[in-house]
Amino acid sequence: MPIMTPGAFAYPGTSLAFKTGGWRTARPVHRWVPAPCHAGCPAGEDPCGYVGLVAEGNIKGAWERLVASNPLPAVTGRVCDHPCESACHRGSYDSPIAIHNVERWLGDEAAREAWEYPLPPLPAGAKTVAVVGAGPGGLSCAYHLRRLGIKATVIDRLPLAGGTLRTALPGYRLPREVLDRELERLMATVSFLPHTSLGRDVALEELLHDYAAVFLAPGRQQPHAWDVDGRVPRDLHAALPLLEEWVAFGKVPEIHSAVVVGGGNSAIDMARVLARTGAKVHLVTHDVRPAPGVPRAVAMKAAPRDIQQAEEEGVVLHLEHAIHHLILRGEKVVGVELVRVKKLARDDGHYEIVPFEGTETVLHVDQVIPAVGQKVAPEGMESLLAARGFFAVDDAGRIPGHDGLFAGGDARVGAWGTVSGAVGDGRRAALAIEAYLSGQPHGLERHPEPIQFSGLNLNYFEHAPRGEEVLLPPDGRVGTAEIAAGLSGQEVALEVARCLSCGTCMACDNCWTVCPDQAVLKMQSPAGMRYLTDYDYCKGCGLCAHECPVGFIAMVEESS
Amino acid sequence: MLRTQQPRFQGLDPGHRACQGCGQALAARLTLEAAGPDILLANATGCLEVFTTAWPESAWRVPYLHSVFANAAAVAAGMEAALKAQGKDVKVIALAGDGGTFDIGFQALSGMLERGHDVLFVCYDNEAYMNTGVQRSGSTPHAASTTTSPAGVARMGKRHLKKDILAIIAAHHIPYAATASVAYPADLRKKVRRALQVAGPSFLQVHSPCPLGWGHGSELSIEIARLAVQTGLFPLIELERGALVGAMPIRQIHPVTDYLKPQSRFRHLFAGDPRAREELAHLQALADHNIEAYGLRGEMPDGLDSEGADTVRRGGLRSA
Ligand SMILES: Cc1cc2nc3c(=O)[nH]c(=O)nc-3n(C[C@H](O)[C@H](O)[C@H](O)COP(=O)(O)OP(=O)(O)OC[C@H]3O[C@@H](n4cnc5c(N)ncnc54)[C@H](O)[C@@H]3O)c2cc1C
Ligand SMILES: Cc1ncc(C[n+]2csc(CCOP(=O)(O)OP(=O)(O)O)c2C)c(N)n1
Ligand code: SF4
Ligand code: SF4
Repeated sequence: MPIMTPGAFAYPGTSLAFKTGGWRTARPVHRWVPAPCHAGCPAGEDPCGYVGLVAEGNIKGAWERLVASNPLPAVTGRVCDHPCESACHRGSYDSPIAIHNVERWLGDEAAREAWEYPLPPLPAGAKTVAVVGAGPGGLSCAYHLRRLGIKATVIDRLPLAGGTLRTALPGYRLPREVLDRELERLMATVSFLPHTSLGRDVALEELLHDYAAVFLAPGRQQPHAWDVDGRVPRDLHAALPLLEEWVAFGKVPEIHSAVVVGGGNSAIDMARVLARTGAKVHLVTHDVRPAPGVPRAVAMKAAPRDIQQAEEEGVVLHLEHAIHHLILRGEKVVGVELVRVKKLARDDGHYEIVPFEGTETVLHVDQVIPAVGQKVAPEGMESLLAARGFFAVDDAGRIPGHDGLFAGGDARVGAWGTVSGAVGDGRRAALAIEAYLSGQPHGLERHPEPIQFSGLNLNYFEHAPRGEEVLLPPDGRVGTAEIAAGLSGQEVALEVARCLSCGTCMACDNCWTVCPDQAVLKMQSPAGMRYLTDYDYCKGCGLCAHECPVGFIAMVEESS
Repeated sequence: MLRTQQPRFQGLDPGHRACQGCGQALAARLTLEAAGPDILLANATGCLEVFTTAWPESAWRVPYLHSVFANAAAVAAGMEAALKAQGKDVKVIALAGDGGTFDIGFQALSGMLERGHDVLFVCYDNEAYMNTGVQRSGSTPHAASTTTSPAGVARMGKRHLKKDILAIIAAHHIPYAATASVAYPADLRKKVRRALQVAGPSFLQVHSPCPLGWGHGSELSIEIARLAVQTGLFPLIELERGALVGAMPIRQIHPVTDYLKPQSRFRHLFAGDPRAREELAHLQALADHNIEAYGLRGEMPDGLDSEGADTVRRGGLRSA
């Protein structure tokens, strides 16, 4: 008779001899599904991945994972409108993870610790690509080319890199030191020719001749023309140049009261800057507040956070209004007549701005400042710009019909108009350029659909409040003092613990715990696959798949 | 080999013949994990005994004795007395189904408790005599259809109520008694450890869904068990010396229909029969009664007993 010592592993006589795997009609398989935050990030970040690494205490690994898609996390962590958070499934449970603050903290931590980008050595004979424009789009492309073992030379007509981030983003949202720190690291990986303007100093043909390929990211630098029924006040200032002046010199012309026209970032920041100088500021926009469920076409382009802060600082919003008439004394504005409007969808899907008679009101102001968008400054690229003055590119950033020419960022048709959008364009173009240079066909990145909310098993989570950062009180918001404080390391630790890890195994042990047949085995390896299904015994009951909190296990029919 | 290096004690090997998704197999595995390896088992006849001991194999990795249907408690008491006589301090656990606990095994159980043996008695409550083909037991819930309480013209499943076994156990004033569920493994393991720590008899009733007898998908065993708790039909409570000392509040109280609908043993309650309305109201009233009697309503929007809730955490090896 075999003697079974307590707890010892006694093979002879145990039921291990009987393999129940043959009973199975479906088998559990591990299956990564993209998280909604990943699918929602224009820069291609996978927050689920790096938030998980932070939660595991691997901070540097998290940052490296983050900069594998976005080299500027300290910037985007502050200014991005974070569509990842709108997509976050935790929003359907209590409130979304404060992804932007995890991102920001990682970016700042990297600066504190002086981490370097993990870059492979350049191969001998690496080719060089020219990049026009040192904004986030151009820099992202140059950086990703470098990651792929390709050199980049970035040209910009300005003396310093940064594009709009440096010229127009107010320091109260993006402190200069933060931008400088982040760009210093990035600029060390590429070569940069400042004071070099395409069209004036160098022609496109030259670039195409001297470099293996060219990426164009000149942004939108030229304000659209603006008038009301053909009338323009004599002392008209567009928002962007005024903002640039304030950002560079800390000054704007003295204005007592103004109407800013528009609903995007330039409009909101212009209004806030003027309010800081003591002016009475009204903001008039056709759009409504951005909110879940509001179509992009009718929502203000500025982020809800910035709109709210502008209001706190005294800016008066006139949503769904338009300027009907300018009230002029000679050529000088003394007021405007507003009218209520609505953007109505036509049958063809386009929106039409419809004014409503009988809803007119008058505002007395001494300036009207349009912030109604910009277009590409065309010098040197005229032949490439499509009808409305932007580059028409395919999903990989190629300009059809122009081999070796790529474009992205704000300058393309259908641009996101955000930093993260420009960063994503730069990354995708770098991949397409690599394929072009190596003569490979370039498939577009295709991700499976993100995991559905119903694919999670929420029974295993608890409600926990979202980490909210401290803001300067409105009366403390002077000059360029940064308004948002971000989260501390401890607050970030609490925040990442809230992550539902949608579609990505979080090594919670649940499958290992619930299998009635002990057919899930835990592996000791800290990285990689952490659980193994022992198909000798797995009966295919499906419990592990049904109970997996994050939807990482699928039951797949056994082929008979 | 990976299987020999698992960072937990494995008392029940695979290769056992339990059905896919068997709640009882899971419950036994979890019990052994928390109790082993220094224990001895006595197991009454029933599914658990049959599916773990197909001759010449055994799925058990601890000393194991098969009693008969009725006398697991008496056999365990004898084992305990013998060990004591030998001066050995090894815990004895008796395992039985609900038939072997509520019905035929009851007098042996009552005697063991009354004599104060140092034995943990675990009842795997799958609410019918499953091993012989789903006959009603004293534990079968009201209105459930079994082969001996079939739903039909004469009646809507079982006429009588589920026996309140814990109240009867409480009347023995033993040191520790509790209910647990496979849906809350950490809570279950915690209760096993607590029960083994006390000197004297202890009792656990573990709600263990049976996909075959209850008529639900094998992947739903835990979901169903969880709903039994979340509806209030199976309260998770702890008693010391017969007095209530703990109850797991329900995070979000579900209507009993959420629990009943996915199980075909309650199918007749959703088939448009006019009598079903009263039966459903009756079952809801039983749940409401539990919620009130044991104070199961979480006070906060997400009230939960941090000891009992089975939340997971990244990195695993949750303990409770
Ligand atoms: C006031 C304001 C606030 C904003 N706030 C936010 C915000 O909070 N969040 C957000 O995500 N986005 C914001 N944006 C938008 C964001 O700045 C842009 O989407 C982003 O900078 C676009 O990047 P880009 O690289 O395409 O272009 P840019 O950043 O505009 O960079 C283009 C670069 O190309 C150079 N260039 C242009 N033409 C030539 C030429 N012919 N030769 C050489 N160089 C040339 C320019 O000098 C410039 O440096 C804001 C924009 C403005 C104006
Ligand atoms: C005295 C006696 N009567 C009847 C049986 C037949 N029998 C074996 S197991 C069983 C039912 C067991 O039911 P339960 O205790 O609820 O355990 P389950 O199988 O449901 O796990 C019966 C009736 C028996 N073995 N001994
Ligand atoms: S149950 Fe937990 S450990 Fe298992 S696959 Fe899902 S997330 Fe990973
Ligand atoms: S719980 Fe176990 S037996 Fe059931 S499907 Fe998963 S691995 Fe297989």
